[in-house]
Parts: sequence; C-alpha cells; structure tokens
Amino acid sequence: MPDFDDFKIRLKIAKDKNKNDSEIKDNAENASFMGNAFKLGTELVSAVLVGTIIGFILDSWFDTKPWLILLFFFLGSIAGIMNIIRAAKRMQQKD
Amino acid sequence: MATNPMQQFSVHRIGPEIKIAGIDLSFTNASLFMLLSALVICAVLYLGTKEKKLIPDKLQLISELFYNFIAKMISDTAGSKAKPYFPFIFSLFMFVLFCNMLGMLPYSFTVTSHIIVTLIMAVFIFIAVTIIGFLKHGFGYLKLFVPSGVPAVLLPLITVIEIISYLSRPVSLSVRLFANMMAGHTMLKVFGGFVISLGMLGGWLPLSFSVALTGLEILVAFLQAYVFAILTCIYLNDALNLHH
Repeated sequence: MPDFDDFKIRLKIAKDKNKNDSEIKDNAENASFMGNAFKLGTELVSAVLVGTIIGFILDSWFDTKPWLILLFFFLGSIAGIMNIIRAAKRMQQKD
Repeated sequence: MATNPMQQFSVHRIGPEIKIAGIDLSFTNASLFMLLSALVICAVLYLGTKEKKLIPDKLQLISELFYNFIAKMISDTAGSKAKPYFPFIFSLFMFVLFCNMLGMLPYSFTVTSHIIVTLIMAVFIFIAVTIIGFLKHGFGYLKLFVPSGVPAVLLPLITVIEIISYLSRPVSLSVRLFANMMAGHTMLKVFGGFVISLGMLGGWLPLSFSVALTGLEILVAFLQAYVFAILTCIYLNDALNLHH
C-alpha cells in the first residue's frame, strides 16, 4: 500500500519537527536568562539613587546637611546589594 | 539631514496648540506614536482572533503566541492568584513591546525612550501593587519591611533598608526601559552619522555595525518589554502571596 508508506514518511517528518520544538524551548530559556542579565544593573543603581534622594530631602527638612545624605547613601547602597542578592536567589530557584 | 544624535528624541507639536487650565495638552509626535501602537495592537489582535481557524494563519498564530506567552509567564511567576490581573499585564506588555518595535522603524519616534512615559507606567504599577497588597493583607502587608529572624538590634536598620529597596522598584523599572531604549537609538544614530561622514571609502565598517546593532536593538526591544512585564508579575506576587 503506497498510501501507508506515505503516512510513515509524514509521521517521521512530524516527529522530527517535535524534536526541533525542544530547541525552541531552549531558546526561550536563553531569552529569560538574557532578560535577567539586563535586569541586574539598574537594581543596584536605583536603590542608591533613591537612598540618596531620601537623604537629601530629610537633610533639607531637619537642616542637618550633610549627615543624613551620607547615611542614606550607604543605606541605599546596602539596599541595592540586597536587591541584587534577592534577584540572584530568585534566578537560582527557577532552575 | 539631522546630524545631532539626540534630535530624534525631540517632542514637537502636531496640529493646533491646546491649552487647558494652563497645561499644555497639545497633540505631539509622542502622542501620535502611542496612539499608533495602541491601534496596531488592536488591529493585530482583532484580525488575529476574528476567524478562529483550527489551522491558524499568521496573525492568529501571533496573537495566540502572545496570549500563551503572557499566560505562562503569569502562572510561573505569580501563581494562580494573579489570574485576574492578566488583562492588565497583557496590555502593558503589548503596549511596551509595540512602542519599542514601532520605534525601530526609520523616521519613527520611540515613546519609551522618554523617562516620563516609563516612569508614569512604573509609578502606576507601584501604587496599584501597594494598594492591592494592603487590600489583601491589611496592615499585615507591612511585614514585607520586617523580615523574620533578624536580631532586635538590627531591626530598625533593616526596616529602613527594606523601605529604600521597596521605593527603588519604580525607579529601577522605569530607568531600565528608558536607558536601554535611549542608549540603543543614540548608538544607531551615531553609527549612521559615521557612515555619512566617512563616505563611500570608509563607510562600510560603520554600516555593517549599524546593521548588527539594528538586530540587537530588536532583541533589546523585545527583552525590555518582557522584563517590564515579568517584574510587574514579581511585584504582584509579593503583594498577593507575601513571602520573601
């Protein structure tokens, strides 16, 4: 039966395509890794920025220039490092 | 020909000047491209889902891919409790993606390269997530700032650091998208300028660079939309499930 052979060939082609699907999945995973890499840089900077701004505002409220801006700059840096550690932990959980 | 690489980011008015209560509400090229991306999204999704074929055509395939992508992302990162927020995150992702992608067309304008646009979206998400957190957990949501298992001496310090870390969310969310888009488009323009100034003899090298950069920028445009949406999911997860 020639039709049957034809079916076999088509089945084989379809199965091969399925194999390629797993490659597509790998690509999607790579995309999320790259997304993570892009994510980390600003996590650190933004916390330092926010800390410094809070320090600046508190300084002008309480007239304590420049002590609170110094304090909050360091607190912001710590917060930034904690942000990074947290993001890294989240990435490792996914695997 | 504009040789200033920052010229592409200038906002100018289209049509008549509209002023309401001293606020300039004129229609600008930024508004035009926001409107355009919203229209393109509506057109793609409407045409893609009009005929529900068993064997999808290209547009239907694209709409289904987007839908599945976001649905999977939400269930992976924020769990089943986040299902009601699917429409918001889907529209957010599509809007950022299409703004970025429309910006890749020559002579177009990249809305997301302006920090005010990304900051408004990020602040909206931040406030919404905070309200959701307080609605779901009441004042228990403040436990987010007081991690368990910390010695009492360190607690005030840790709480301040946690509050700074929480407040840094909208900043990092908006600056990431804005900086990536602006840097990429400036770089494209600078290399384009090199092609012109080096002429037929030396212009081939920067030309090949800008071809490669265009590919990279399309990748970045997609990745940044993805990162924007997935971080929204992560913040939503913190608000809904409250564990650190």
